[in-house]
Amino acid sequence: MRKLVILSLLLVLGYFLLNTFAGAEFGKDRKVLANYYLEKSPSELQVANTVTAIVVNFRGFDTLGEVTVLFLAATGMGTILLRRRSKHTGLNPMRTSPEASKIVQAAGKLLFPAIMILGAYVFIHGHLTPGGGFQGGAIIATGFLLLLISYRQFKVEHKYVTWIESLAGLTFVSIGLLGIVLGPHNSFLENFLNVGTLNELTSGGVIALVYIAVGFKVAAELTGILDTLVNIRETGDID
Amino acid sequence: METVLLYLGYFFVSLGAAFLFLGAFGIFRMPDFYTRLQAGTKSSTLGAMSLILGVGLMQPEWFFKTVIIIIFIAISNPISSHALARGAYKTHQKPLTDTIDAYEEVTEENKNKNEEE
Repeated sequence: MRKLVILSLLLVLGYFLLNTFAGAEFGKDRKVLANYYLEKSPSELQVANTVTAIVVNFRGFDTLGEVTVLFLAATGMGTILLRRRSKHTGLNPMRTSPEASKIVQAAGKLLFPAIMILGAYVFIHGHLTPGGGFQGGAIIATGFLLLLISYRQFKVEHKYVTWIESLAGLTFVSIGLLGIVLGPHNSFLENFLNVGTLNELTSGGVIALVYIAVGFKVAAELTGILDTLVNIRETGDID
Repeated sequence: METVLLYLGYFFVSLGAAFLFLGAFGIFRMPDFYTRLQAGTKSSTLGAMSLILGVGLMQPEWFFKTVIIIIFIAISNPISSHALARGAYKTHQKPLTDTIDAYEEVTEENKNKNEEE
């Protein structure tokens, strides 16, 4: 009976949603802003991927905010979980669970470079193909997670993670500040490099540089989060 | 030649789709974890591989890339299912029916050997 009620409510909701959106034709009736983005990103910026052009160029300041949010999340998580981190060094990650089998360990070693290359490819080609800094960084963090669950003795050095993260963030902000100095309109995060030709790796001006910085930053942050999570004491007592 | 490759590609894509369908069907139909794992991973390995091979045959300029993807799937998919099965075994996931547990016998033997040494 309850399921029937839920189902009929969903049907009613679906009917109204369908009624609302049935009139809008797909891809038609673009508004001013969408038209602007779709026309400017291939012609003026020479960026094949419009989404990247919007995220990094037209709304680059927004992206800087997003990266900062991720940084705050990582820091907050580290602060909260620091008290529960194991005091023992050495064989600490996931030590109460049985060790991963030899097959997983060998495969982890084999697949780790491939995952790194894929992640780097995704964030370097962010202005040409789907994906970008956030996605590539997440892929790279997945590679580190594979090693973390395969090898107990594998440890992420938080010192280097912090350095990479800080340098990447600094690069992002420096590119933005260079836009003020060198850009034609003297505004923050403005493109000041040669835009090149469409569909080439060197096209898009600063977008590739910004996304490489974002990729390194996201990879370092997510790897730090994963390492913190893996190293929580599993007994749950806080002292 | 191109049409032959195209139809070969169609064949492999439909074969892969059939395998993937059977795998999805098996996940619904099978009763316990291990048989579901069998249905879900074996068929998805073969299905995804032949589907991607079919795409590579239809678009010969992508063939090299598809071969690389197939190698990646051939490494990663069986190993992830191995890790899943091992995790289930280690957490004492019981099969539905009575089975012969060869792995337990082997590990028991190893344990005894280690104790003797």
